[in-house]
Amino acid sequence: MPSIKIDGRDVPFEPGDTVMRAAYRAGIEIPHYCWHPGLSSPANCRMCLVDILPPPGRPALRLDILEWSAEKNDYVVAQKSKLQPACYMQATDGMEVLSDTSDEVAKARAAIQELLLLNHPVDCPICDQAGECKLQDYWLLHQRSKKRMCDEPVHKPKAVVFGPTIVYDAERCVMCTRCIRVCDEVAQNPVLDMRERGNRNEITVAPGRQLDHGYSLMTEHVCPVGALTSSHFRFKARVWFLRSARTVCQECATGCNAHLDYDPRDNLPYRYRPRDNEAVNKYWMCDEGMLSYGRATAGRMLGAHVGGDDASIDEALHAAKDHLRGCDPARVAIVLSAQHSQEDNFALLTLGREYLGVTDVFVARRPDGLGDKVLRHVDKNPNGAGVKALVGGDGPRPLAELVAAAQKGRYSHVLALGHDVDVDVAALKSAFAGLTGSIVIASHDGPLTAALRVALPACAWTEAAGTYVNAQGMAQPTEQVLRPRGDARPGWELVARLGRALGFAIPWKTPKELARAMRGAAGSEPTHATAGAVAAEVAP
Amino acid sequence: MLQRTNYLSSRYGVPDGHRIEAYLRDGGYEQAKRALGMPRKTLVDEVKAANLRGRGGAGFPMGVKWGFMPPEPKPGKPHYLVVNADEGEPGTFKDRTLMELDPHSTIEGCIIGAYGIGAHAAYVYVRDELHLSKARLWGAIEEARARGFLGPKPFGIDYTVEVYVHSGAGAYICGEETALLNSLEGKRGEPRMKPPFPAQAGAFGMPTTVNNLESIATLPTILKLGGEAFSKLSALHGMRDGGCRLFGVSGHVKTPGVFECAVGLTLRELVYDLGGGVAGGKLLAVIPGGSSTPILRHDELVDAPDPKAPLHPWHGQSVLDVPMGVDTFRGLGTMLGTCCAIVLSERACPVMAMHNLMRFYRHESCGQCTPCREGSGWLERTLDRIVGGAGTLEDLDRLHEIANNIMGNTICAFGEGTAMPALGFLRKFRREFEDFVRTHGASSPRNLAL
Ligand SMILES: Cc1cc2nc3c(=O)[nH]c(=O)nc-3n(C[C@H](O)[C@H](O)[C@H](O)COP(=O)(O)O)c2cc1C
Ligand code: SF4
Ligand code: SF4
Ligand code: FES
Repeated sequence: MPSIKIDGRDVPFEPGDTVMRAAYRAGIEIPHYCWHPGLSSPANCRMCLVDILPPPGRPALRLDILEWSAEKNDYVVAQKSKLQPACYMQATDGMEVLSDTSDEVAKARAAIQELLLLNHPVDCPICDQAGECKLQDYWLLHQRSKKRMCDEPVHKPKAVVFGPTIVYDAERCVMCTRCIRVCDEVAQNPVLDMRERGNRNEITVAPGRQLDHGYSLMTEHVCPVGALTSSHFRFKARVWFLRSARTVCQECATGCNAHLDYDPRDNLPYRYRPRDNEAVNKYWMCDEGMLSYGRATAGRMLGAHVGGDDASIDEALHAAKDHLRGCDPARVAIVLSAQHSQEDNFALLTLGREYLGVTDVFVARRPDGLGDKVLRHVDKNPNGAGVKALVGGDGPRPLAELVAAAQKGRYSHVLALGHDVDVDVAALKSAFAGLTGSIVIASHDGPLTAALRVALPACAWTEAAGTYVNAQGMAQPTEQVLRPRGDARPGWELVARLGRALGFAIPWKTPKELARAMRGAAGSEPTHATAGAVAAEVAP
Repeated sequence: MLQRTNYLSSRYGVPDGHRIEAYLRDGGYEQAKRALGMPRKTLVDEVKAANLRGRGGAGFPMGVKWGFMPPEPKPGKPHYLVVNADEGEPGTFKDRTLMELDPHSTIEGCIIGAYGIGAHAAYVYVRDELHLSKARLWGAIEEARARGFLGPKPFGIDYTVEVYVHSGAGAYICGEETALLNSLEGKRGEPRMKPPFPAQAGAFGMPTTVNNLESIATLPTILKLGGEAFSKLSALHGMRDGGCRLFGVSGHVKTPGVFECAVGLTLRELVYDLGGGVAGGKLLAVIPGGSSTPILRHDELVDAPDPKAPLHPWHGQSVLDVPMGVDTFRGLGTMLGTCCAIVLSERACPVMAMHNLMRFYRHESCGQCTPCREGSGWLERTLDRIVGGAGTLEDLDRLHEIANNIMGNTICAFGEGTAMPALGFLRKFRREFEDFVRTHGASSPRNLAL
């Protein structure tokens, strides 16, 4: 593999790489604003200037500048290196790059930083970006000098509403054009551009339009400073109080990797941020996904109920046991959930098939929705592929078949996981009305929890570690982020307790034991291994 | 050496000189017809021999630039000729005279140039404000088309050539060739990063040559005289800086204007013989070739003691006596630029002159890259304060630092075009600046215009 040297360190690169990308791959940070690994390189911020040594035997390109000599009481002509933007310079084998070891580069970085802050309002105390702002970080790393321009800074529009999700402050903007490029290159919806010129320029929305495409929040995500803020996160939290956990978005079968930022003090989620994964979502998430962190608290089923009345978990388990005791397995239907984790589904499937001897397995899922060519999948369930793999054979049967059969009295009992359905809710209700017993374990309220008699509150994806298999067949782990709300317990744990109440010796009591059992079971292996948790955590 | 020539401007002042009849009377379009019958390589060699240094400001040899184009267009990759008539450089007004007074030499040059680089279409990008220029060019295109000189078979020869006039977008930066290409494509007029160079991916992503309008309008003369004979018109033929060109002079001279001369004219000749001498007192300084070229003082001497230095023959002489050439002026630490000089008399204030220019650059920076966008603004602000009488020596010492940080750190040459003249003014007029600051402006004549 060809390689370059950055500050004396060998850095391999792939053909076509720029110096910046080679450095990024090797985990070396060259400071930058406009460059983003998922976008084109306009090389406009000039923060990434580095010194590229000429090939051996060739003279270095030097530029004439002026310095003041107090001794001579006159200017003297001095020289400096012609620096190059690392984000645009193609790496060539043997190239030697000075980044952190060159005084001239250090000077240039300090100068660019000073220029970027020249007209900046420095309103960090009221800026949402504070704490994760490149201007702040690079000031500490590369500038550390006081503001020298004492004139009134250039004033520009503030709190400009770009669309339903985004608010723009032109005075904080460093004109890196990342937001424009996200719209052009990722969302394929070129709705932003620059207007005016020189130090009066600002980002603007195309006349007659709003920033309202499906990836509008990615503009805020890529904005390296506080110029773009999202209406849902604006003024809600100071980022240094937030903690972050690795999770997977639940909104569709793409399974975008995400960071969920939460405040441990109030046990609340505050936002999603995409987590880089070249194989799944690259650097991006869609707006629906980005806003779906709210499902960690909204619409939750926080307690058990039996026949419409609130109940404790023990009371509900007791009722469930009474329902199921002595049932004919041939007349029991198991309903898995494409919205719950592999763990929850595995537990229910195992209880149904192996302990109760049930053969008829169905799946509850959210109905299909709109997809696109970027990320959004028409399948709006995070784990449909996982359930299919667990069940094996032809996979689970659609819920509509269960409704039709139940209508004819084919089943006496339904044991279900999940809340949303892709069938007519009235038909579901009337079909299930005649059942002798019906039990559902679910994280949220939904048609399924309303139609079944005993309901047990399960943890949402944020409250228990789990695995979700996306449409590509990749099993992706999530971490526990929040403490369970209300009486919620992990779905698989509720299944195990129900099994034990029914007198079965269910062996898994801890997540570890469950994982071991899952590994041992045939058909539960995903089609290929996870790539989810391994992506680099360097913020671009 | 002052040697007036009359190739490019022979129809200036002729009644209806812009009409095709006048052009044809002087043998117009014969060279285009001849060119279309030549092997392409012969034509390119002729242009190389002419040693025409680009008239747009950078002074790049035209024939060499043509040589960067692919030898033949690849399928689906047409070539384009783009003619730069944005002429926004302060003090520069030569291309305008060609368009207004003799548009047919440009159209004929477009046919020759298009053929020379394998293009079938030429776009002439004209600065928006030059309405008469655009009208005259369109008029010339129509006249030429009516005679069958343009279109699918010019002069009956099977080589389509079309010429279009494109209105500029009202920004100085659109004269920078890649910003011009963006603007031509209907995009924001922002310079592009290079590579790719226009010859690789220019207008609409296709191989493109961008030439200044005067460069193109000179092509019929080059073919008429022959490349080498054209080059030898110049006193700097030996430095590969050939032919004749338009010299402009404006500012504090008695007879400002555009004059056609052989290359090799000196600044002294331009100011005193052609410009009629300094209006309002004695000469203070000359900005030699458009506002982006560093200023030369009247009392500066050539410092080239090394016998091998190209400027050694002029060692110890006044800079005003050095022939105006691309390389000679680079040797002086300035540039020939557009070859249109701005003259400052001693009654003008250099501090205010610099302030005036820096205001222009702040206004015209496209704002894409940080050093130019913010640096040009900071220069202007600092000078605002100095000119307002509130400046300090610390402000003065900040100016070169800001300019140093723009130098070499930008996407396009606008950055150097701002920093170099700024450094030039400071270096040449430090005393005047210090006096201005100390006296809060009392030392200054407080004049810019006379
Ligand atoms: C800021 C800037 C403005 C420019 N403006 C003009 C212009 O108005 N006209 C022009 O011919 N060239 C202009 N140029 C130079 C062009 O980029 C280019 O070098 C020229 O058109 C090439 O033509 P030539 O080789 O025939 O000189 C400008 C360059 C810069 C950096
Ligand atoms: S709004 Fe943010 S992303 Fe967009 S140009 Fe400004 S700083 Fe860059
Ligand atoms: S140097 Fe100035 S004009 Fe050129 S690209 Fe940068 S901001 Fe624009
Ligand atoms: S990161 Fe290279 S110029 Fe912005």
